[in-house]
Amino acid sequence: MTPETVPDHRAVALQPVEPGYRNVLRLGAATFWVPLFIGSLVVNWLALADTPVFGLPPVIVGLIAFSGIVVAPNRIYRRLGFSVDGAMLRVVRGWLFHVDTIVPFVRVQHIDVKRGPLDKLFGTATLVVHTAGTHNSIVSLPGLSPDTAATIRDDIRGLIRSDFE
Amino acid sequence: MTPDLAAPAAPTAATAASPAATAPAERLHPLYLVTGLGKALKGAWGLIAGIAVLGSQGRWWLVALVAAGFVILSVVSLLLNWLKFEYRVGADELRIDSGFLSRNSRAIPFDRVTDVDLEQGPLHRLFGLARVRLETGASAGAKDEDGVLDTIALDRAEALRDHIRARRVRVSPIAIGIDETAPPPLFAMNSGRVATAGLFNFSLAVVAGLFGLSQTFGDVLGFDPFERSFWMSLAERSGSLRELVVAHQYIAVIGGAIVLVVLGIATGMIRTLLRDYGFRLDRTETGLRRRRGLLTLTDVTVPAHRVQAAIVASGPVRRAFAWCELKLQSLAMDGAKGDHVVAPLAHPEEATAILGSLGWPAAPSTGSWSNVSFAYVTSLAALLTPPALVAVVVGLLVQPLVSIWAAGAVVAVGARWLGWRQTRYSLSNDALFVEQGWWRRRRSILPTRNIQSIDITQSAWARAFGICTLHLGVAGGGGFSAHRVPALPRSEGEELRARLFAATKF
Repeated sequence: MTPETVPDHRAVALQPVEPGYRNVLRLGAATFWVPLFIGSLVVNWLALADTPVFGLPPVIVGLIAFSGIVVAPNRIYRRLGFSVDGAMLRVVRGWLFHVDTIVPFVRVQHIDVKRGPLDKLFGTATLVVHTAGTHNSIVSLPGLSPDTAATIRDDIRGLIRSDFE
Repeated sequence: MTPDLAAPAAPTAATAASPAATAPAERLHPLYLVTGLGKALKGAWGLIAGIAVLGSQGRWWLVALVAAGFVILSVVSLLLNWLKFEYRVGADELRIDSGFLSRNSRAIPFDRVTDVDLEQGPLHRLFGLARVRLETGASAGAKDEDGVLDTIALDRAEALRDHIRARRVRVSPIAIGIDETAPPPLFAMNSGRVATAGLFNFSLAVVAGLFGLSQTFGDVLGFDPFERSFWMSLAERSGSLRELVVAHQYIAVIGGAIVLVVLGIATGMIRTLLRDYGFRLDRTETGLRRRRGLLTLTDVTVPAHRVQAAIVASGPVRRAFAWCELKLQSLAMDGAKGDHVVAPLAHPEEATAILGSLGWPAAPSTGSWSNVSFAYVTSLAALLTPPALVAVVVGLLVQPLVSIWAAGAVVAVGARWLGWRQTRYSLSNDALFVEQGWWRRRRSILPTRNIQSIDITQSAWARAFGICTLHLGVAGGGGFSAHRVPALPRSEGEELRARLFAATKF
């Protein structure tokens, strides 16, 4: 492919994913942190009653849980963006660990559209593209609406051409 | 809702670019419930061991409960898998919908399929079924497999393969379907050859494992061929041998070694026979097709375009009989085993013929080999000499056993020297040839167009000796150790890189 035919990916604005993705993140974090919080309460009552650190574990776990369930999903959602132009998929995510991934469609080997139970609950889907190679060969884009995911999949599908010609 | 077994892949539909979503949904063969159970059993060996323990304690009702629970759970999960698994064969893609709680819809474009593997275990063969695996090369990083149709009818599987192949070469599928009868195989192994290969597959690892086991558990099992008592009880009936064993402890040791060697050979034999029985390699229009197996038949198609590199390897005994092994590095892996073995035991001219059918050279033009720097040996010797000297001094003054370390260093340098004599490379016929190894000699053949990247690496130590190592990045593979040329003088390494760059036309 000659350089002239590649559109400048920076020219295409990033799109946000579905707002429902925040709920997926919240519920996912809650299923992890709420049992942990309860566990810390139990440990606190049973094992730490007479020690100076009584009450400390639930506070710490509770704070982390609060940030994980309430604060973090909004931020993750805000920082997650994607764009699809004619030739490549771009996924930008994260702030502390900022990752900007570009996948040229011609390098995609196969494509998954994945929907877990939480995805079904909040009407989202995850697009997973697999590229050849051993390093970083799986790029996933969560929080798309199922229709968007299918559309992107078909776009990529249409651009995968035989390399035997 | 039975799957339409008789329907072929409708390869005539290849003209229309219809998306796979419109193709009729198909299901796995209902016998998946049976063939899948074997795999569930294999995965639950821990549970089986638990059952055995419970059984040995005589708690039979618990055994029955656990076994029944396991069978019910497996059957239910298999049934759910089967109910929720659908695949659609489109004109140019395969769509697989699977999963119960977490649904996954996978699209595999046929243009990206590297290998089509057909595998038949004993149960599959009994019922005329097959397991189809599509490799796209994306699974190198991830553990999961790309596209697996676990149990479908064999003729359906073959139709699917022909459909994919027809799509690749863009010729009429009818012309492809008839290659079963046509030309003689490119390479085949009769039973004698397979047995010979089995001899060479003598597994030291198995011997070591058995040795360890017999030493660890020999007392418990009442089996330790390294103990006199083992041979004495055997010799109870033949009195004369008994005196001999009692007299000479070392005879018991030799006897034990012989038992282990025989076991090692037998293990290698059986493994090779199971895997390579009826080995047959064919040249198809697009690539190579390999069929082999005694109980589990596998049928693998590797497109010639996707072959990245080749390796010809032989051990010391094999070399004496002029045998070698030929492997190909493809974009995808051969199951979990890495490179595709296309000739487990072949004469060099047969290997040359296989490579020739791909249009690959087997050897560089004569006189083009270059040796690597002798600093390959001296750098190691210089690295090992100071600690070896310390070991000798300590050995003389304090503890004699320490000097063994010095002997080990001498052996290592000697092995490196022997290795250096066999290490050479050549860039000719549009390919880079590298020969390495003294005990197990291997020649890798890497066409320059398949080189993805070239690194020159030089450790601080190597820099002091003015040598560098050239690493060549190649797509795919995994079983291969990296392609490299060791111990080149820096200037020569840079020159070779320049020549490779020129040849690859990056």
